[in-house]
Amino acid sequence: MTAGAAEAAGTTPVRPAVEDDPLARLAGEGATGALHGPVGALYLSDGAVVHAESPAAPDVGWRLTARGRLSPETWEEAVTQGGPGYRTGDFLVEHGRLSQGELELCHLSALFDAAYFVLYPLGDGQRPPERFLREARHWLGPVRPVTVPALQREVRRRRRLLEQAWPGAAVDAAPVVPVPDADRRRGRGAQAVCGRRAVLRAADGVRTPVQIARALGRPAFATLLDVRRLTALGLIRPPDPGTTEADRPLPEAPGVPETSLLIRIRDALEAL
Amino acid sequence: MANTEAALQDAMTSIEGALGVALVDYGSGMALGTLGGSQTLDLNVAAAANTDVVRAKLRAMEMLNIQDSIEDILITLGSQYHLIRLLTGRGGTGLFLYLVLDGKRANLAMARHQLRRIEADLEV
Repeated sequence: MTAGAAEAAGTTPVRPAVEDDPLARLAGEGATGALHGPVGALYLSDGAVVHAESPAAPDVGWRLTARGRLSPETWEEAVTQGGPGYRTGDFLVEHGRLSQGELELCHLSALFDAAYFVLYPLGDGQRPPERFLREARHWLGPVRPVTVPALQREVRRRRRLLEQAWPGAAVDAAPVVPVPDADRRRGRGAQAVCGRRAVLRAADGVRTPVQIARALGRPAFATLLDVRRLTALGLIRPPDPGTTEADRPLPEAPGVPETSLLIRIRDALEAL
Repeated sequence: MANTEAALQDAMTSIEGALGVALVDYGSGMALGTLGGSQTLDLNVAAAANTDVVRAKLRAMEMLNIQDSIEDILITLGSQYHLIRLLTGRGGTGLFLYLVLDGKRANLAMARHQLRRIEADLEV
């Protein structure tokens, strides 16, 4: 990572208002390239957003393959064959793997999902990207460009939706802990609807909302919204406001395979 | 193999009495495409608000322990019909089509039939 103007400025607020970020300026210039940083990237073409990616949001390939709509081989073939010419999307449609409509819907849904996490990054101290790589293009190719004002409007609307559902942002990045009797309570009025049921089932006290979204192949924003709504219903325990990322104890599960591996190595050594 | 714009265009031109149509992602309440509408009918607002309608119905079904899926929801107003059709898509896309019809001109049975066809065109 190079020390760009953004890092040097130092006085930039942790989370600048969407209006203040360079996106509006790039849109005004009709720029083409990628606005990128550690939290993801927004690809622009002639000032409109054509693609967004964030490590928090499942991308188009993951969405299409996680639920079996396309086989991983089919997706891989399209990326390999279509990617070098920036036309993976067109390749899928031309070879009858997807209809144009399906591609557009999947792509748009993934674009807005990732854009939310690029403009409102999870985690303390994370900022929207400020570096711009001119002329960078994405290998998926243009599908349906979105204007910057439309994107910013939608991202702000999503922000409001989350705040209305449950005002505490701490649940967004913390492990999702269901209350002990969540299942029983759900049966008695505190209902978990459609996607929320899957989210509640996937909540194991270790995985964060983003990890649950990935496991289920669902949009990350919708999962975040479900987690906030489930918290408001009292089915998920809100994280203790006193704990921050740094002093929260590490979840036990990731350590488990290592311990078992050590035990197996010890047993093997003893058996020698 | 329609694109979304063509599918919405198809709905507006082939369905008698159509006043507006939107394709909505109900995980977020966002309209992925809209066509028609008017100053008094903001389809983006309708998209978000009708997401709550779909969620409320799904909740009602869960409370009643009905193990089924919603094909469509019809709301009859004095002068309009509002038709919500959940897309079943092979990828489980979590989308619905929202159609506003003029009550005087619409043929409800035909409209439902045509929405089914438009859904199939989008996904084949």
